Order: sequence, then structure tokens, then C-alpha cells
Amino acid sequence: MPAPPTDARTLRAEVVRVEPCGDDGVILVVRPEHDLAAIRASRFFMLKRDDRVSPLIPRPFSIYRQRDGLLEFLIKVMGRGTRALAESRPGQALILTGPLGNGWPTIDGGGAPWVFLAGGVGCAPFPMAIEQALAGMDGKAPARPEDITFLFGAATKGLLYDLDAYTEQGIRVLAATDDGSQGFHGNVLQLLDGLWERGELPRDVRLLACGPDPMLEAVERLAHANDLACWLSLETLMGCGVGICNGCPVDTRPDGPLGEWPNAKCCVEGPVFSTEAIALG
Amino acid sequence: MRATFCGARRVLSMANMTDLSVQLGPLSLRNPILSASGTYGHGLEMCHFTPPARIGGLVSKTVTPNPRHGNAAPRIAETEAGLLNSLGLENKGVEHYLAHTLPDMAGVDTVVFTNIGGESVDEFIAMARRLGERDEIDAFEVNLSCPNVQGGRLPFGTDPANAARVIEGIKAATTKPVFAKLSPNVSRIADMALAVEAAGADGITAVNTLLGMAVDWRTRKPGLATVQGGYSGPGVKPVALRCAWECARSVSIPVIGCGGISSAEDVLEFLVAGCTAVQLGTACFADPALPGRMVDELTRLLDDAGVARVRDLIGTVQDGTSRTCASNASDAKAQTDAEVVGRP
Repeated sequence: MPAPPTDARTLRAEVVRVEPCGDDGVILVVRPEHDLAAIRASRFFMLKRDDRVSPLIPRPFSIYRQRDGLLEFLIKVMGRGTRALAESRPGQALILTGPLGNGWPTIDGGGAPWVFLAGGVGCAPFPMAIEQALAGMDGKAPARPEDITFLFGAATKGLLYDLDAYTEQGIRVLAATDDGSQGFHGNVLQLLDGLWERGELPRDVRLLACGPDPMLEAVERLAHANDLACWLSLETLMGCGVGICNGCPVDTRPDGPLGEWPNAKCCVEGPVFSTEAIALG
Repeated sequence: MRATFCGARRVLSMANMTDLSVQLGPLSLRNPILSASGTYGHGLEMCHFTPPARIGGLVSKTVTPNPRHGNAAPRIAETEAGLLNSLGLENKGVEHYLAHTLPDMAGVDTVVFTNIGGESVDEFIAMARRLGERDEIDAFEVNLSCPNVQGGRLPFGTDPANAARVIEGIKAATTKPVFAKLSPNVSRIADMALAVEAAGADGITAVNTLLGMAVDWRTRKPGLATVQGGYSGPGVKPVALRCAWECARSVSIPVIGCGGISSAEDVLEFLVAGCTAVQLGTACFADPALPGRMVDELTRLLDDAGVARVRDLIGTVQDGTSRTCASNASDAKAQTDAEVVGRP
């Protein structure tokens, strides 16, 4: 059985502040009981409040930012678990397990341009991806700002969480909303199509995507149809995040690099998978 | 890698004032904390969270004769006071376990239970034969009670005669101690306990998950793809405690309590009710480091209460019956018995 990452630990943390973000989200800023080494973007933590009131099972969240010894998580309030976290007050004790999962592949400069596709709260693994790509990852050439296009889509403008943060990084940022309340009227794939049609982006790009299932299935189809390198950061139900509950299976491709077993564990084999490895649609 | 990193490393418990050791039939455990099958990996996956040397024993996920791909997703659904699961015993089969998991377990400084499953009496027996020669395994736990296979019919978990046939066959096929893991989904669990005891079981694990179900009335969708599944977590604790108590008062072989245990207080409740050891399951999902931490909490609780030996608590519940727990009575002798299996 795949094991959890060797740097993952269970640790206590204290809520420092909770900042409203968008129509239904917060940025939860916490101080772990001890400093953590730099965490790769799109790795995640399991979070729950350390009390007997909150739901039993912790919830998985991508690391949103890591700075000054603090960890930040973007949390969209969707149910009991997220509400309990979003309603935390400074000083509230949390239990964190992490960092978990694999994180994005090396985002380097010099090759085909990168297109990052985010849907709603699926933007969470991207601020650090951009930061790390521009700084250089794994000893490879850093990406230049012009190498990265960030396409951020949501149902409405209030769900384009923390949009301004991306524009500060010098990369190309374009927004799309289903209701046309901000940016392009449509979804991120239509937005990408438009860029291609107008010649504003080469056809050969490398894709990273995170968002709701229908969006990721469409990105998967696009990658296969155009033979594009593509990685998806998946969100599934998770009971533990460390590979022991078997509650987060993802269908694998029979001829893919993960071998013959028909499913992978999202938590310890992902959450980032190449579209050569898994079969969503 | 895992074996060298996590292997035979002895970590002394913090106080060492309180004696946490217990005698589980022929097995000597350094403390009564075990992992529950299916909730702490197959082997040493969790050693970075809890070194095996901290706990009394590790119980593997159920190993079956053939690979099982598991059930469709969603496989888990949280409820108000627990978790429903329907994993379907996903595992790569006994040959994979023999080749890839067990070698890492050699020299591990804790008692190793391999949990075995099968769909017929013959399959269970074949599993015990296939694994019976491996030194890495100290004991078998027999999964008579998974609610998520064979349509939830529990053919071995609800019929005392069927359960007895499995245990009898396994006992004839192996010299290793055999523990029968029972289901709470019966009206008289004592009948099951007595049947497996008569069939030669060395102990009982009580209990597996309760059958349960969740549904979203708005979408009309069940929480699990298989509709029903096994319910675990704090909500089942009173049910599990009663089952374990009923088993313990009915048989003279030791009982391992399991079901909803999430604190050191819970552990001691199961011991007082008659259990010799306990297993931690769903609680490890919320805190994978819990088993090791619970050993420290146990020591602290007992120190505060002035209890020098945890085994003195076993079966001391004031339930109106006068009895001596067999495992407790034989404990003093077994502690000095050079032939005991296990690694205190």
C-alpha cells in the first residue's frame, strides 16, 4: 500500500485570524506548533478543530500560502466541517495532519508556456504554484511571468476568490464567469479557446487544472484531444488523507503509468495526477 | 526502506511507573492498544505517525485470497456521530501481501496480527495455510464480519455454526493463535462467542461495524454507492461496549474490544467491561498519531488514579456477577512464562 509522505505529521495549530474571502469563503490563517519546511504547492493538510463539537472527520485543504511561520487555507463554506473551521476564532486550537500528497510537477521555464485553469475554490493550489514557478522549482530554470497564463473561472464574480492577488505577480490573469458578472462571459475552456483562436497563445501549452469535476473532465478531454501535457489536482471525499481509509479512489488508465490496479488513492498517490495516469470522464 | 526506518526501535513509555502490559491469551502485549483492521494500513505505512514499538500490536487490513478492487465511490459518508464505509475489502491479495508487505514486517517490535478474509470455509483455511508458516505473523484475526461484501449478508458473522466451521478449519491448519472478529449485527452475540470458543479460537475481537445507511433527501442519493455500509466511530461505542461485555462474560478466552474508542477513558471502559486489549479504528483517521499518544494518556490516567497495573482493571465492572476474567487470572503466570509468544 502506498504510504503517506515521510514529512507528514499530526500537529496542533492555533488560529491567528479568519479573513472573509469572496461571497462564501474565508482565508484561515493558522500558526502550527512548530515551523514547517517550505511546502510544495498543491500539497494539502487535513484540518479539524480540536474540540468534541466539530465533525469527527477532518477535511482536506490545499496549502494556500505559507509565510512568516503561518499557514493559510482558502475555505469555501459547504457543510458542517467547513463551517466549523470558518467560524473559528483567533486562539481556537486545530489538529492538522500534513503536509500530504504529492503537489504539482516541476513548473519550469523555457518549454511550452503554462496555462493554469482554476474553477472557483479550485484556485487554492495556484498562488503558491505561481510563486514557486517564478522562483524556480527542483533546480530547473524558473518560469518567467510571460510563461504563465492564469485563467480563473467561477459561477459569479463573488466566487473569484482573492482575484487581485494573482494580478500582482506579473503573469497574465484572465477571469471568466458563468453569469458574465466579471471578465469573459463563459467558462475557462471557452476562454482558452478564444485565446487560441485569436493567436494570443501557442497551441502547444502545458496545463495545470483544479476545479469542479465537470471542468476537470472537460480539461482531460481537451488534453487528450490535443495531446497536451496536463496535470489535474483532484478533490475527492477523504476520510484520513494518509492512505489508510481507502475512501478516495480515483479510476486509473489501464495502460497508464500507475500500473494495472484500477484505482489510485487520491490522498497518497495524488492529489495531482497526470492525465496519462487517470480516467475521470 | 520502511523496515530500516521504522523497524526494531524500542521506545520506552514516558513514565514507566505504570505497568501497561497485558496477556492476551498466548500473546504478551506491552500495552493494550492495537490498531483495528482496515484503519492503519497493511504493514508499516503509519510508522512515521506511531512507531510500532509504542503500541501493543498492529492488525493488518483484511487480506483475501485474490485481489479485490473494492467497491465503487462514494465509499465513505460522515454522519452525526461517526462514519459509514463501504470499501469492499480492497486489497491486492495474499500473494502480493506475502511478497511485498510481510518482508517489511520482519523484526518489527510489536505483535503482528494478519487479518484474513474469505468467501467460503475453504478460502479461509487456504489463507491460514498459505500464511501460517510466516514468522512475521504472530497471530491471525479472522474477519467473519465484514458487512461490505457478499451483499452484506454476513454468512459467517451471523450464523454460529458457519463461524465455528471457519475457526475449526483454521485452527487445524495453523499453530498460530486465532482471534475471531465478530459482528454486532446479531441478536445474541454470546452465541457467536461461544461457538468460536468451542471451535478453538484463542480470542475474540468484538466488534466489527454496525450496518448503517445515509441518504440525502434532496438529491435522493444514498451516501454510499452500495447504499448500506459499516458504521463506526463514537456513535457505536455503547453498542460495541455492550457486545464486548457480553462476549467477555460468556467465554473464558480473551476479548479485544473495538468500536468507537477515541480516548484513553474509552480504553479503560472497555477493559473494565472485560476486554484484555482494545483496537483503535476510525479515531485514527482524525488523528493518525493517536495510538502512540493514547499510550501516554493511558499512563497518565492510571497514574492519577493510583492504578499500578492496567491488567488489574480487566473485568472489574460491577455488573452483579461474580467472576474472574480467565486472561486476568492466568496473567501472573503467563508473565513469567518463557514460552509465551510475542514481544513485551
